[in-house]
Amino acid sequence: MKKIKIVTILLLALCSMGLHAQTATEILRKTDEVMYSPKDQSADVKIILTDKRGNRQEREARYIQQGSDKRLFKFTAPASQRGIAFLSLPDDVIYIYLPAYEKERRIASHVKNQSFAGTDFSYDDMESKPLAEEYDPVLISQTDEVWKLKLVPKPGTQSDYSRLEMEIGKDNLYMRKVEYYDRGGQKMKQLENRKLKKINGYWTATEIEMRDLQREHSTLFISNNILFDSNLSDDEFTVRRMKQ
Amino acid sequence: MEKFAKTIYRFRWGIIITVFILTALAGFQVKNLKINSDIISTLPDDDPHASLLKDVGEKFGGNKIGMVILETDDIFKTEVLEHVRQITEMIGLMDGISSVTSLTNILDIRSGEDGLEVGKLIDEYDIPETEEALEELKNKTLSSDLYKGVIVSEDATATIIIFTLLEDADVESVAQAVIEKTTALELPENIYYAGSPMLVTAISDLIAADLIRLIPISFVVIALVLFLGFRSKRGVILPLLTSAVAIIWTMGLMAMAGYHMTMISNNIPILLLAIGSAYAIHVLNRIAQVRESEPERVLIIALTYILPPVALAAVTTMIGFVSFIFGAYLTMIRDFGLFTALGTMFSAILSLVFIPAVVAVLQKKKTNPSINPYKEKRSYLSEFILAPLRILLFKHPWYLFSAWMLLILISAGGIFLIKRNVNIQDYFRPGNPARIAEQIMEKKFGGTKPIFVVFTGDMQNPEVLNTMLRTQEHMQKSPDVLTTQSVADLIVQLSAGLGEGENIPDDQDKIEQLWFLIDGNEMLDRLVTEDLTEGIIISKFISSDDKVKEAFGVYMEKFISENSTEECKIRITGMPFIDVTMSTSLLRSQVGSLSIAIVFVIIIVGLIIRSLFRGLLATIPMVAAIIILFGFMGFAGIPLNIATVLVASVVLGIGIDYSIHVMSNFNFWINFGEDIHKAIEDTIMISGKAIVINVISVTAGFLVLLFSEMVPLQYFGLLIGFSMLASGLAALTLLPVILILINRKHTFQKR
Repeated sequence: MKKIKIVTILLLALCSMGLHAQTATEILRKTDEVMYSPKDQSADVKIILTDKRGNRQEREARYIQQGSDKRLFKFTAPASQRGIAFLSLPDDVIYIYLPAYEKERRIASHVKNQSFAGTDFSYDDMESKPLAEEYDPVLISQTDEVWKLKLVPKPGTQSDYSRLEMEIGKDNLYMRKVEYYDRGGQKMKQLENRKLKKINGYWTATEIEMRDLQREHSTLFISNNILFDSNLSDDEFTVRRMKQ
Repeated sequence: MEKFAKTIYRFRWGIIITVFILTALAGFQVKNLKINSDIISTLPDDDPHASLLKDVGEKFGGNKIGMVILETDDIFKTEVLEHVRQITEMIGLMDGISSVTSLTNILDIRSGEDGLEVGKLIDEYDIPETEEALEELKNKTLSSDLYKGVIVSEDATATIIIFTLLEDADVESVAQAVIEKTTALELPENIYYAGSPMLVTAISDLIAADLIRLIPISFVVIALVLFLGFRSKRGVILPLLTSAVAIIWTMGLMAMAGYHMTMISNNIPILLLAIGSAYAIHVLNRIAQVRESEPERVLIIALTYILPPVALAAVTTMIGFVSFIFGAYLTMIRDFGLFTALGTMFSAILSLVFIPAVVAVLQKKKTNPSINPYKEKRSYLSEFILAPLRILLFKHPWYLFSAWMLLILISAGGIFLIKRNVNIQDYFRPGNPARIAEQIMEKKFGGTKPIFVVFTGDMQNPEVLNTMLRTQEHMQKSPDVLTTQSVADLIVQLSAGLGEGENIPDDQDKIEQLWFLIDGNEMLDRLVTEDLTEGIIISKFISSDDKVKEAFGVYMEKFISENSTEECKIRITGMPFIDVTMSTSLLRSQVGSLSIAIVFVIIIVGLIIRSLFRGLLATIPMVAAIIILFGFMGFAGIPLNIATVLVASVVLGIGIDYSIHVMSNFNFWINFGEDIHKAIEDTIMISGKAIVINVISVTAGFLVLLFSEMVPLQYFGLLIGFSMLASGLAALTLLPVILILINRKHTFQKR
């Protein structure tokens, strides 16, 4: 009798744990859906870099993306950087175009943990790969507004991070905040998605701030003229277009 | 004077309690005393090289760079690279670290088949494993100026992991953590630590070890000497107690005033032990000589006699120390002068106030005060040393005098052989890991003495960058500069990577766009300021020869004056230049502080004895001892360094006391109406005893420094011990001989 009781309790416990895990996976999958489901998107971005002494630098760029693996980033200001473009294509193919040289060059793939154009985002952070593909999530807590998930890289995944901790809004399943922990378990970066708006039926953050806690440096992306699903053609994501 | 003694007698308990309370308060502060062995922080701001060096440290993190050296037969093996990766990752994750650079994460710019690669030399996730891949990596690394001699030694047997500390990081705890965690990895390669944070920590450890080890030893040694000299408990305990109190007061005051222990102030306790016990010995000795039964009378008689010479001795000793404040280049030497002077003052006050108070309290309990504990014992010292000395003085004054003159003459010749040495690695004993690490750095990585050339101008301007390149070329023509690094190198590499040739583009737009590719890279933070108005060339200097350093300075200054413009201002700084200034300042401060001290000592002694001539006479033994000291340094090859430069003034300050005691004792008897013969005899027999005991105890106390972990302090101890002997001997032989010779005529007449 006693045995059965224990087994039942154990089974129940296992089930609830499984449920828990499933819930976390479910949340993350849904979040991925919310965040990466547009067929394409475009925006004008203002990038504000702030260093630890409080010095600010501003840049502006035009940004277009198709699916989750084709992206073109083209700088429009300041004048010295106008025309500089990054084109990311599937299978980690990245091109850069420097107008002063009128030349495009491929950038090697193993630079992905390097800073993207002086920002606090790495090339890796810029990618919009569904998180559920690379991370195993666990629900660690929740409030009325958010779920808090812990994401650990799946075995075999190369990552500079030992874990991510993120807050996901219960209302729209959009990521509010992500904390990046280094391999020593220390918080190294922190991302905040702010001023969420629903545009063309998709939730999106019009302000994204990434802070590098070690360098005491931060990057603020402010997006304007955001459009989703405007049927960008494949042609937009070619080296030829990058140079125009 | 009588009033002074009476006051002490009346308030004896109050004095003892006050001293006790003050000591407790100061002792409470001592634990807050921190050790700082960072030489750069003690450089004066009014030296342009020093202030620029500090500035570079703040802006580019240049002064807080540490290195882990990994040495083995061949670096280019998968497991060795894996170990480098492990250390790199481990340090990168530590608190207080701003960046780490090693073979496994260093920036690499190349143009491959895939296009431009702005990436890393080694993919940390994919360390080469095959023989061909390792060989290829080796060839590539050793053929690049960016890596060869910078991060991997030319013979591929050593590599370094370079880390920069955050500005506000606690240097010692970070360095300690680096050592602990690296040791915990239990790697098979030889591991060494170099660079200023590691060196500073190593020195601090030595300072702490020295303090803990040496102070008790010198207490025991001095106690032993005191016991042999006085054969009484009081004669041992009171001097040691007085010194201990003076040391605690001084160190407590240092802590309260926010000063740090440095590799110089490290020996303040031992100095004060020697000085403090000396004053106490003289006071006790004098009290013991008084044959009175009434305790109050004993104090009055003893203090009347001993207060002037002890006060005078303290003032002159303080002059010796205070002279550092005016003469020295390093602020740590100035601080040392200030606090040892204060400590000397405390010692004198305690000897003149605290000791009589304690004696008064103890004396009272004695049932039969007429028994003099000192007088009753037979003194070997008087019988076998002082008495024969007295006879010798009167029998052969000319022989003695000539012998001294000869010794002084020979020593004077040795002065010209004195070398100077400010090399920090020579501070460590041979075999010390820090010293070995510095040697490896010198042999395989072009030294550790950083040189920075600072450019003020638009860092993206082609002309500025070209001037940087030209400066680097000019520097590398010197055999003592192995490598140079600047942002201009990176731009050239990027340009080459784009297939545009190995040069700086002439168009600023192009430079700005190339810049875009490396923007945000940690390496840039160490080469240019965020606002791009300042940039540096980082380099290292091999030679430790001051003349070579000086010549390089001249060589660079010429280039700089020809190439520095309004748009591109060039300045140079670095440890080699600081070394040169420090080295010349050693000589200047030696001469400066010594002459200040001598002049003041003559004036003060003259004023007190009321005869400038006798004041002059009193300094003769000191000058003799100092000349012999310098001669000894010259012949023995002991260099003038930041510690030995202090010896002469310390010797002057402490050693003059012996002459003062001899002079004032002599004066006392002469004024008493005694003839010269009796005056000298009494002087030798009474002051002589105190002087001999004092010389032996001070010398023994300082010789303890021979066990120090730091070479300059070993020399310091040896030299002070040596010169104390010399000055004690001079005060007891040369000075009386001169007095005898001068007064001979007078003596004969009287007879």
